[in-house]
Amino acid sequence: MPELRIVLAGAEERDLTKLAAYREAGGFEALATARQQEPQQLLDALLASGLRGRGGAGFPTGRKASFIPKPDQTPKPIYLVVNADESEPGTFKDREIMYSVPHRLLEGCLITAHAIQSQNVFIYIRGEYLHEFEVLRAALDEVRGAGLLGGVTVVLHRGAGAYICGEETALLESLEGERGQPRSKPPFPAISGLYASPSLINNVETIATVPQIVAMGAEEYAKIGVENSAGTRVFSLSGNVVNGGNYELPQGTTLRELIYDVGGGIPGGRELKAIIPGGSSVPVLTADQVDTPLDFDSMAEVGSMLGSGAVIVIDDRCCMVQLGLRVAQFYMHESCGKCTPCREGTRWMVQILHGIEDGTAGQGDLDLLLDVCDRILGKCLCPLGDAAAMPVASYVDRFREEFQAHLDHGCPMRGESSLDGIFAPVDQHSHDPVADAITT
Amino acid sequence: MSSAPQPETVTLTIDGRAVEVPKGTGLVETAAFAGVEIPVFCYEPRLGPPVGACRMCLVEVEGIPKLQAGCTLTAQDGMVVRTAQTSAKAAEGQNATLEFILVNHPLDCPVCDKGGECPLQDLTFRWGPGASRMTFPKRTLEKPIPLSPAIALDRERCILCYRCTRFSENVSGDGQLVARNRGALSLITTFEDEPYSGPFTGNVTELCPVGALLPTQYRFEARPWEIQNVPTVCGLCPVGCNISVTTREGKAKRVLSRNHPEIDQGWLCDKGRFAFGHVAAEDRIREPLERVRRRGFAPLSWDAALERAEALIRGAEGRIVTALSGSETVEQAYALGKLLRAGAGAHSAVLPEATSTALDAFRAPLSTIGAAELVVVLGDEAVTDRAPIVDLWITQARRNGATVERVAGGKPPRSLTERLRASERAVLVWSGRGGGGGDRLAELAHALGFEGKPGCGAFHLPATPNARGVADAWAAAAEGTEQDPEPVSLLIVSGDEAAADPAVRAMAERAEHVLAITMYHGLAVGWSDLVLPGTSYLERDGSYVNLEGRVQRLRRATIPPVPDELAWLSQLAGRFGVEVSPHAAVVFAELSERLYEGLAYGEVGERAPLPLRTPYAAPVPATTQPVPPPPAPPGEHFLGNLRLQRYRPLFSGPAVERTPELQFQRPPAEVELAAEDADRRQIGSGDAVSVRSNGTAVELRARISRALAPGTARIAEEHAGELHLEVEVVKA
Amino acid sequence: MSVREERSLHDEIQDVVALYPSSRSATLPALRLAQERYGWLPPEALRAVAEALGETPAYCLAVASFYDMFHLEPVGRHLVEVCTNVSCALVGAQQVLEAFERELELHPGETSEDGEFTLRTVECAGGCGWGTVVAVDHRYRERVTAGDVPAIVEELRAPGAADA
Repeated sequence: MPELRIVLAGAEERDLTKLAAYREAGGFEALATARQQEPQQLLDALLASGLRGRGGAGFPTGRKASFIPKPDQTPKPIYLVVNADESEPGTFKDREIMYSVPHRLLEGCLITAHAIQSQNVFIYIRGEYLHEFEVLRAALDEVRGAGLLGGVTVVLHRGAGAYICGEETALLESLEGERGQPRSKPPFPAISGLYASPSLINNVETIATVPQIVAMGAEEYAKIGVENSAGTRVFSLSGNVVNGGNYELPQGTTLRELIYDVGGGIPGGRELKAIIPGGSSVPVLTADQVDTPLDFDSMAEVGSMLGSGAVIVIDDRCCMVQLGLRVAQFYMHESCGKCTPCREGTRWMVQILHGIEDGTAGQGDLDLLLDVCDRILGKCLCPLGDAAAMPVASYVDRFREEFQAHLDHGCPMRGESSLDGIFAPVDQHSHDPVADAITT
Repeated sequence: MSSAPQPETVTLTIDGRAVEVPKGTGLVETAAFAGVEIPVFCYEPRLGPPVGACRMCLVEVEGIPKLQAGCTLTAQDGMVVRTAQTSAKAAEGQNATLEFILVNHPLDCPVCDKGGECPLQDLTFRWGPGASRMTFPKRTLEKPIPLSPAIALDRERCILCYRCTRFSENVSGDGQLVARNRGALSLITTFEDEPYSGPFTGNVTELCPVGALLPTQYRFEARPWEIQNVPTVCGLCPVGCNISVTTREGKAKRVLSRNHPEIDQGWLCDKGRFAFGHVAAEDRIREPLERVRRRGFAPLSWDAALERAEALIRGAEGRIVTALSGSETVEQAYALGKLLRAGAGAHSAVLPEATSTALDAFRAPLSTIGAAELVVVLGDEAVTDRAPIVDLWITQARRNGATVERVAGGKPPRSLTERLRASERAVLVWSGRGGGGGDRLAELAHALGFEGKPGCGAFHLPATPNARGVADAWAAAAEGTEQDPEPVSLLIVSGDEAAADPAVRAMAERAEHVLAITMYHGLAVGWSDLVLPGTSYLERDGSYVNLEGRVQRLRRATIPPVPDELAWLSQLAGRFGVEVSPHAAVVFAELSERLYEGLAYGEVGERAPLPLRTPYAAPVPATTQPVPPPPAPPGEHFLGNLRLQRYRPLFSGPAVERTPELQFQRPPAEVELAAEDADRRQIGSGDAVSVRSNGTAVELRARISRALAPGTARIAEEHAGELHLEVEVVKA
Repeated sequence: MSVREERSLHDEIQDVVALYPSSRSATLPALRLAQERYGWLPPEALRAVAEALGETPAYCLAVASFYDMFHLEPVGRHLVEVCTNVSCALVGAQQVLEAFERELELHPGETSEDGEFTLRTVECAGGCGWGTVVAVDHRYRERVTAGDVPAIVEELRAPGAADA
C-alpha cells in the first residue's frame, strides 16, 4: 500500500521548512490563485472537496466556514484560529506537519483567511511542541519577510500543557489568557468565539490540506478516498507495531493495510489483540475487526470512530484492565474540573479500575463501572467526559471475560502485562499538599 | 406619540404546559413561570452569563439527542422541553449529577451549619440517589480553612459551582477568590492564602449552595429550626440594604440579604453583614450615667435620670442646641423634636448633612445606575466609603459597557456635559462633602434635562443613614423658628455621628451642660453631665429614609439591654405636657400626615416602593462656596505643605471597632501620597513617615497612590489625630 | 551580555501584550517569560506578572496552576519528563522511567537535593510512533529504551552540559 502524500507532499525529497525550497516545489502558488478568487468561490471549493475536519470530530470544513458571517454582517473582526494543540494520545501527525511542511500550514492559513475574509489568524500551538514552534516561527518570519501575508496578522500562541485546550472553546479561553475550561454552547464560536467575535477554528491538518485542494481542484481532491471520507489522512501509527510513524494514505485504507503492509506488522511474533483506531478516546476494536477500512462511516459501523486518525496497535501482552486504568488516569488528569460528571466521574472510574486490577473490587463493581461510564456519557459540558467513558466502557464490553477473570482470580497476566505497573502523572508526587490528599 | 413597543414573545411547551414569555427569557425562569422548577446549583444570573458547570439543570429538548443544561438555554418559539418531572432521561441525568456531586462530599450534615437550609440537601432529597455507591476513599482535605477571619472555607464540602469565584471576578471585581489546579484537584483559594478582603466578601457565604463558605460568626451558633429571621433594613449607611437578621433567643446571630432588586440586588457590604455584634459589645452603656463632682460617672436610675434631664432642660430656659446624628429613626427625631421644640421652645439644632429635596425631581431607584451607559461620579470621596452598594451598581454598569467618569470637585468638563445631555441613560453621583447636600447636583441635573428622562438619575450620597428623614422629622415636629442661643446652656448630643462633628465638639466646650445619648463609653461621655444609653438600628422599630428618598421600615430584631429612645422620650415629653407615643407606629401615623402624605405604616411593607418624582424646584443658590486653600507651591520649608484629606473608610466607626472579624479590614496606619510628592521627599512605599502640623504629629507608613492628586496627603480619619488642614510629611 | 538581561520582565511582557486585542491574552506568554527568569513561578514572579498585566496575583495563580508546564514549586536545572501514556507504555515506558529513577535516585515528581534534576512523568507527548518519548529540558528524545538512560544521565551530568 503506497503512501499518497498530499499534505506531506515533497517533504521526503527536500527540506520544505525553507521558504525557497517550498516555493520551488510550487508553494504559495495556490495562495496566489486563491487571492484571485472571490471568497465565496473558495468556500464553494471547500464544500465541493468533501474535506472534513481532521482534529477528530470530522465536521465538513466548508460548511463550518460558511457559518462565519461576512464582514458586512458583523461589526466585529473575524478570526481564524488554528488548533495546533495536538494532545490526543496516539496522535502526532500535526507535529510532523508543522516541522516538515510549516509553509503549507501558513499558506493554508492565508487561503482560509481569504475565504472567510479574516485579517487575523492565531495559531494555538501545544506548549510542549517547542521545536515545532521554532520551525513555525522561522517559517512565519520568512513568509512575513517575503511580503506574502497580504495584510493578515498571524500570531503564534503557545499553550502550556493542558489536553483540554484542544477542545475548541477551551482553546479560545486559553488564548484569551484564562484557565482552559470549555465554554457552554450556544453561543457557537462561528458567531461568538475569540473575543466574542466570529471565529473559525480548524485543525492543522485540515488547514494544511487547503492549499492542495486549491492547487489540484476540489473535484480532483474529492475523488481521493471513499464516500463521505474524501482525501487522505495522515495516520499516526503507534504501539506494538514494527514501523511506528505517520503515514499519509487515502481514507478507506484498511487497518490491516496500515498495520501490516505499511507498518510492518506486530514485532516479536506476538498476536494482535486490539486496535484503538482513532486516538485513545474512541471505542476499541478487536483483532478480528482488522479489515475495517479507515473512514468515517466504516468506523461508525463497527461501533468506533476515526477520530484523529491515530491507530494504536495492542498485542497480546496487554492487560485490558490496565489499559482501561491508564486511559482513565489520563482523562482524570486532564479533566478541567468545570463540570461535575467529568471531574468526579473520571476520578471514580480510576478508583474502580484500580480495585478491579488489584483484586479488591467486588462483583458489583464491574456493573458500577459501566454505570458510572453511562452516567458520564452525554451529560458533560464538553466531549472530554465522553472521551473517558466511551473507551473504558468498550474495553469492558469487548473484553468482558478478561475483566471477569480479574474479579475471579486477579490479573491473568500475573505481572507480565506490557502495562504492568505503569506510572501515571496523576499519581505523581507533588509539592502541593492538597494534591497528595486528593489522589489517594 | 406612539406607545412603547411590546416585547416580542415566544411560546413553548414545558412538561406539557404551554407558556408565553418575552423572547430571550432564560429557560430556568421560563419554567418557573410555567410552575415548573428546574433545579440548579451553579446558575445565578446576578453573576454573569450562565456557565453550565454543575449539570444539575439537565433537561430534554425535543430535537436534540443529548440532555441539555437548561440554565444555558433561552426560550425559543415552539421549543418542547421536558424536565425531570416528565422525562425519565432528564430525571436520570439529574440523579447522576447528584450522585457525582456526593461521591466526594463528606456528608457531614449533622455538624454542618448549612444543614436544614442547604440546597444540596434539598435537591438530593428530591432528585438524588437514596444510597451511596462510593466505596472508595473520599477526597479529604484540611478543613475548615480561614478564608478570612470572617469566612470559613470547607473544601471537602465544596461542589465547585464557581459561584464565589464568579462573584469575585464579575460582581465585586476584586479578583482575589479563584479556582486553583485542574480536574479533581481543583479548589477554591486566594493568593498565598491571604485573607479574602474587600467591601463585599461576605456575599460569597450566601451564594454558596453548600456548607463550603460559611460566616465564622455563625459557626455552631444555631440550627435552622431554632432561629427567627427578622426582616429589617441595615442602618449603617444611606443605601438602606434590605436585610434579614437571624436571631436565636433574642440575640442576633447573622445578617442575610433580603434582596430588594431596586436597592441592593441581594448584595450586602461586609460592614452591614458582619458588624451586628456591636449590640453586645462589652463597653456598651447599660444604664444612665451622671457626672459626679467632675471626677467620674455614677449610674443612676431611669427615674432619676429623667428627673435630671427634665431639670437640665427646664434650667436652660430654651437656650438649648440639639445635635442629631442622622442615625436616629424618623420617629425618634420627631419625638425629640416635639419634646424640645413644643415642650421647651428649643428650636435650635445641628442637623446632619441631608440630601436636598431638589433632587426629588430626578428620583430613581439605584438600579438605574446598573442600567446606565454613562455614570459620572463627582466629589472627592470614594463611593465605597459612603455607600458601598452604589459602587457595585457602578461596577455592574461598567461591566455592561457603560463609561464611568470620575470628576474631582463639582463640575464636569464641557465635553462630558454634552454626552450627559445627549444620553437617555446617564447617572450623576455626588460622593463627598459640599455641594449643598445635592443642591448643586440638582442644578446640574436640571440643566442637563434629566427630569424628562426616566433612565437618568442623580444621587447624592450623604454621610449618614437617615439624614434626610431626621432633618424632615425635626422640621415637622413643631412650629417655631430657630434662634442660635448664646451662650448655650444645654447641648444635647444624640448619637456618635453628632459627637464626632468638630463643630459640636467646639460647642460642647462652651456649653454649660451637655446631655449625651450614646451606646458606648466613647467620645461624648467625656464632656457630658448626663448620659442616656442609646440603642442600635437592630433594636428599634421605626423608619429610615434612604438616599433615594425611599421610606423603609426597621423592625426590632434583637432586644436592647436598655429601654429604647422612644420609650423614655415618651415619658420625658409627658413631663413637659407633650404627648409622644412610645410606639413607632403611632408616631409614624402622626408624622406621616405631615411628611409622607399620610402613607400608612403598614403600607411601607417589606419591599418599600419609591415615591414618584416631584416637579423641580430650584434650590437656594450657592452662597460663596468655601474654596479649599491651594496647596503651597513646592520648594518652601519642608518641601512645602500638603493638604490633608481626611476620609472615613467603610471599615471604621463604632460598630466596626467592636467586631473582631472585621479588624483585618480596617485601614492600616498609613498616609497616601502622590508619587511626585513622595519622590520629592525621598519617601518610598512602606517608609515610616511623620506627618506634622501646628505642633502635633502622627507617625504613619507611607503608601504611594496613583489615584491621588499631587499636593494631597490622604489619611483615614482614625489615624489623622489632631492634624490640621495643612501638613508636612517627612521621612521618620 | 545578552540583550534580554537588559530589559525588564515588565517591558518584555508589554511587547507580548501588544500582539493581542486584550492584555489578558498575554497571560500564558507572560507566565512563561517569568518562569524563564525565575526557573519556576514563586509568588514574587506571579506578583510581577500580575502587575505587568493589570491582573491580580490570584488570577495569575489560577491560570498558572491549570497548566502542567508552569511550575509552582522549584524544579531542577534539568527537567526529565518521561511519557507514560498508552503508546509509550506499550513499548516499555515504565522500564525507561525506572531506569531514570535508578540513575537519578528520584521518584517521579521529585527534585534532587542538589537542584540538578527533576524527574516526572507526563501524559502523551506526541511522539507515539517513536516511543518511548523522553523530553529532556523540553527537547524530545525518541525511541528511548531503558538501556539508553545511563548515557543520557551521564551526558546531563557532564561538566558544561547545556543549561536548561
